[in-house]
Amino acid sequence: MTMLSKLLSIRSIAAPINVFYKQINFPVNVIHNLTNFSTTSVKSVNFFNKLPAEKLWKSVTSVSNAGAKKGRGKGAGRIRIRDLNRGQVIGIGKINMLWPGLSAPVIRGRELLKQQRLPDDPERMEKLIKLRDSMTKFRRLRLSPIERGWSGARMPGRSIGPPDPIGEDEFTGFDTKVLQLRSLLIMKGNLGRTRNYQAMVVTGNGQGLAGFGLGRAKEASAALRKAKNRAGQKLMHFETYNGHTVFHDFYTAFGKTKIFVQKKNEGYGLKCHRAIKEICQAIGIKDLRAKLEGSNNLQHIVKAFFIGLLQQRTHQQLAEEKKLHLVEYKAENAYYPKVVASPSTVRTQDEILKDETLDFVQYVMNDRVILKKKRFPRFYETMPHYKIFLKKFERYRNHEKIRLMLKTEYGAVKSFLNDRYPEEKTESEA
Amino acid sequence: MTIFLSKLVQNNIKVFLVRNSDTQLFTVSYRNISILPNIYDGKEDPAPKFFSRNVQVLLKRLTRPDFAKVFRKRTSSGRDVLPTPIYKFLTNEALEAELAKANKKADRLLQMPPVVKIQQPINEILSEDPALIGYDTAKYLFTDITFGIANEHRLIVERDPDGTLRSCDHDVRKRLNQTYFPLNGRKLREPVMFTDEERFNTLLEQQEYEFVLDRACLQYEPDELTYQKITSITYQHIDMNKNFEKLRSTRHFGPMAFYITWHQNMDNLMLELLQSSAVREAVLLTALRHEIHGDVAEGDNAKILAHEILPTPIQLTKPDRLTEEDIQLDNKCVSCIEKYIVSNSMMKSQQELALQGFREYYQQLIELSRGLKKAHGTA
Repeated sequence: MTMLSKLLSIRSIAAPINVFYKQINFPVNVIHNLTNFSTTSVKSVNFFNKLPAEKLWKSVTSVSNAGAKKGRGKGAGRIRIRDLNRGQVIGIGKINMLWPGLSAPVIRGRELLKQQRLPDDPERMEKLIKLRDSMTKFRRLRLSPIERGWSGARMPGRSIGPPDPIGEDEFTGFDTKVLQLRSLLIMKGNLGRTRNYQAMVVTGNGQGLAGFGLGRAKEASAALRKAKNRAGQKLMHFETYNGHTVFHDFYTAFGKTKIFVQKKNEGYGLKCHRAIKEICQAIGIKDLRAKLEGSNNLQHIVKAFFIGLLQQRTHQQLAEEKKLHLVEYKAENAYYPKVVASPSTVRTQDEILKDETLDFVQYVMNDRVILKKKRFPRFYETMPHYKIFLKKFERYRNHEKIRLMLKTEYGAVKSFLNDRYPEEKTESEA
Repeated sequence: MTIFLSKLVQNNIKVFLVRNSDTQLFTVSYRNISILPNIYDGKEDPAPKFFSRNVQVLLKRLTRPDFAKVFRKRTSSGRDVLPTPIYKFLTNEALEAELAKANKKADRLLQMPPVVKIQQPINEILSEDPALIGYDTAKYLFTDITFGIANEHRLIVERDPDGTLRSCDHDVRKRLNQTYFPLNGRKLREPVMFTDEERFNTLLEQQEYEFVLDRACLQYEPDELTYQKITSITYQHIDMNKNFEKLRSTRHFGPMAFYITWHQNMDNLMLELLQSSAVREAVLLTALRHEIHGDVAEGDNAKILAHEILPTPIQLTKPDRLTEEDIQLDNKCVSCIEKYIVSNSMMKSQQELALQGFREYYQQLIELSRGLKKAHGTA
């Protein structure tokens, strides 16, 4: 710290002023205390004024090669080089002097200006320190929250615009999202270990058209561009149910990755893996829940989800397969039976096999069942203080509702008793 | 036609005048509507007429229930997230059974609020005990809270400080019943939307008729004076602005049709029916008037025709093809309406014009469907 504060006080004109003060003070001391006279020589030269700022800074900030390999000199505690000359002007210093010809004109009007001391500026040093601090502060992320991806300034989750137009065909209304960008290291006979970038992106217009692409290149940007354009070449069309969700629940898998997708009603949102969410947004699906089981390899997730979407059957297909009416019941419509699809020929009750799967969800899930994990009590729910809290809180449980009711009825939290006992009201107000 | 009294209102934001066939003047303003409630307080009790089978059937048919509206998505479901729809594979028989269930549910949803006479005040002294005078300064209320007794038959009495034991009046009964056996949604105090006239009028101007009527049903008993005032003003507002479509497929259309017919003011509705080419319903309305008042010329004819109309399916949209039976029935309807307009209508010229419009439209429709039949070789 001491070194830093000394560094802060270094100024180009600081030395002469200090010398000037010493010269004035010295004779005064001598007159009053001659016994304290010292014969040791005083050196006015030290490494602060001998070495240039660049070297001084290097001595403070440098990290050894071995240290750098271990990651020293990075992160929060890092000392950064500051330009101490910034914000300083020749002729203006700690003592606020008017120097004609340097910090002020020689002639103002008809008057010849004289060298004189002006009142001190108390805020000058504060301003300088503030300016110096601003040089060392951590630089903020330049991305706006809207542009930001899943995490920080990293690429995954970020939008990279529509695929490049092919000839005159433009991808209007399309947007591409980066799902994965990673570096791959490969060994080469003559070059040794070389670094390649691999990118996986999904592109879509939010109205049913979407595709994903994988690109590899020496540079990250090239990999992204390749992936984006490849995605634009592999567009698929997906029908959505009422423009907001999938047609039915389904199970899909790729490799060791298993996905259980559930159809949801309007307003539910997308509750799934972030990659699945980006795919849904690219397609235009708004409500869905997806549960992931097994491996969470991102490329496998993407492939499995696309396969699952492609294997969906429309309501008409399902009705034809079963040769039965498909009827929809919605809670918001008081469970009114709405026939969504009817087959060309309907089977009778006798034609239905004894052990046939008639349950709709079971049928579309291919008899697979989503594992519902047992919900364990929260860590505090088993503790004694939680029971005490519940007991204490019980008497307040309806207060919020009653407060609202009183506000609608009286315009404030008061009751008919306030009118009957006005003195109570004044007491509570006071 | 003495329902609406003219009354000029000061400080109106916007005033428009409606001139009826009579030289009566209605003054209506936004926020400040001067409709005088006209309630069932005459000598005649509307209940026997309203509950009679013939009238009920006519009112239900006039409601013209469209299941898309009856089972529409409502904002008052109390759910923050809509649950996932349920799907079922059904055979023909199972589907029919499910639809029959849904019809029953629709019947329940469309059950009409009763139309009855205004209640008489209860003034029954059970006993007078002068020995109890000065026993207490407060009034004592006794409620029999035995389980299983209907609210209207519950024993609720009060002992006054002067020693009189009397049966409680309706307002006290209602409050005590609500205290001991609360009805979900009913408030002990009247909601502000009913007490504050300006807010009530704003709701009417926003055409929130169903909301107003539903809440009135919940808050009040059908024989209460306030209920009848509120419904009366709402019905009149609908009638004046011809917003009948707002109440169709709801349980309030029947009582509204009954109200305006009871007060001999159903010509606006008749005109609306003719303008929307619903002649069959217009005949039903004539039959309804004849059931209630018996003053329609050849009313028995309309009643017979109504019996013919009732088994036919409800026409939710204008038909695009006609069978010979349809044409026959509709022609009978037109002649019936003609007689009604000549002898009973208060808006003769307008209704005749509307009927003429219908005739022309119908003639085109007949030609079209006959031509189509010929083209298909089915004639």
